[in-house]
Amino acid sequence: MTPFLIFLGGSTKLLYLSFKEFFKGKVEKDLVIEQVYQVGIKSLPVVLVTTGFIGMVMALQFGIGLAKFGGKLYIPKIISLSIVRELGPVFASIMISARVGSGMTSEIGSMRVTEQIDAIRALGASPIAKIVLPRVLGCFIALPVLTAFANTIGVLGGLLVGSNDLGLDPNYYLQKVLTTINVADYMSGFMKCFFFSFLVSVPACYFGLNVKGGTKGVGIATTKTVVTSCIAILIGDYFLTKLFWVIETWL
Amino acid sequence: MALIEIKHFKKSFQGHDVHKDINLSINSGECLGIIGGSGVGKSVLLKSLIGLIKPDSGQVLFKDQDITQLNEDELVEVRKKIAYVFQNGALFDSLSVYENLAYPLKEHTTMSEEDIYQKIYKTLDEFGVLNAIEKYPAELSGGMQKRVGLARSIIMDPEVILYDEPTAGLDPYNTKIIQETIIKLKNKNVTSIFVTHDMPSAFAVCDRIAFLNQGVVAAVSDIKEIENNNDNEISAFAKGLRP
Repeated sequence: MTPFLIFLGGSTKLLYLSFKEFFKGKVEKDLVIEQVYQVGIKSLPVVLVTTGFIGMVMALQFGIGLAKFGGKLYIPKIISLSIVRELGPVFASIMISARVGSGMTSEIGSMRVTEQIDAIRALGASPIAKIVLPRVLGCFIALPVLTAFANTIGVLGGLLVGSNDLGLDPNYYLQKVLTTINVADYMSGFMKCFFFSFLVSVPACYFGLNVKGGTKGVGIATTKTVVTSCIAILIGDYFLTKLFWVIETWL
Repeated sequence: MALIEIKHFKKSFQGHDVHKDINLSINSGECLGIIGGSGVGKSVLLKSLIGLIKPDSGQVLFKDQDITQLNEDELVEVRKKIAYVFQNGALFDSLSVYENLAYPLKEHTTMSEEDIYQKIYKTLDEFGVLNAIEKYPAELSGGMQKRVGLARSIIMDPEVILYDEPTAGLDPYNTKIIQETIIKLKNKNVTSIFVTHDMPSAFAVCDRIAFLNQGVVAAVSDIKEIENNNDNEISAFAKGLRP
């Protein structure tokens, strides 16, 4: 329990310090742009492949299952709602955690081990402003954009299988998707990404900055980052879904 | 008058008392060597002088200001005046040598890019590493990395320089260059604190030597006194007669 509480306190403090530096105006645009490139552009292929195939697999599974009850026509509705509300944001965030979060931890951890973090402080600069804030902002900007692409490709993956393997008319599929998904559906998934961006970047920076024990410690910290972020995203997803459900009901 | 004073400094890690009661003063313009066996906390003490590590109790006074009470923002002013030379250079490996040296100048000054370039060019030339200006740290030898690290530390013209084993693992040629640089800076009245295991270098550059043992300053002696008197603790340590 104690390591969890230490992590919770440490990462909350890290997020607070990042906000503090942000509101002080210590945002280094070049570093943020570099992180947006690393998180966004470089992760785009892996996110698109993942969600594209999720859409395809779902279409196939539902196609087989629903065909028994004559429910194939519901496939566009089921797939689009599942992807836009849940699977797109969650899988994009998990893939970012695996690809980018682990990279962040190992990079920061190596800097820690080779005293580069201490060197930043010794030179009178802030590691929060130079290291943490650009990564937090990079994720905050890039993850929602990636999710938008992921949603689109996921739904199109379903269309591909639906039209080729299940005999659904592509026009019917697209029409059903567009009439099913409303703004509330889209936003309930999309808004989660902003929260998930913190669940990816903050643990990654926290574990990187607290690496102990040399290169072995970097490996341990990287594993902790991926496990913690993935679990946090899945737990956070439940509570955010519940929250948005309450908001939607209220609206 | 002492420029830096360490008073009743205590620091422990996971229940192990590294420093029990350190008391030391460093005068302006002098070069103080800190020696002692491995694990006695020489680097910990050095890092405390610039606020990288906070003591459990005690004071570190720089110009009568207790830096242990300062937060990270307040320490920035102290860190502009006290430079730290890391054992392995601690160069930023994603930046070129030029960008490493430009880092503190861009952070703390309003110098133009042209002035920054001129200053870096001159500094690297003095250290004999001008040919590395566009290289990345991974492309440099250990000796060159240390020289670039030293160049980055002094580029802000600090009043005090803290050296953490600057000659460790270097060949005689690079060792001599580092020694000469330290002496040159000392002659410009820059105060130096020099943590080392390299006794010939300590004798070459230091005015006084402090010997750390069992969490306290076991002895502080003038270099000449150590050279003339074979009976003291520092002489025994230097000759490998005690741990």
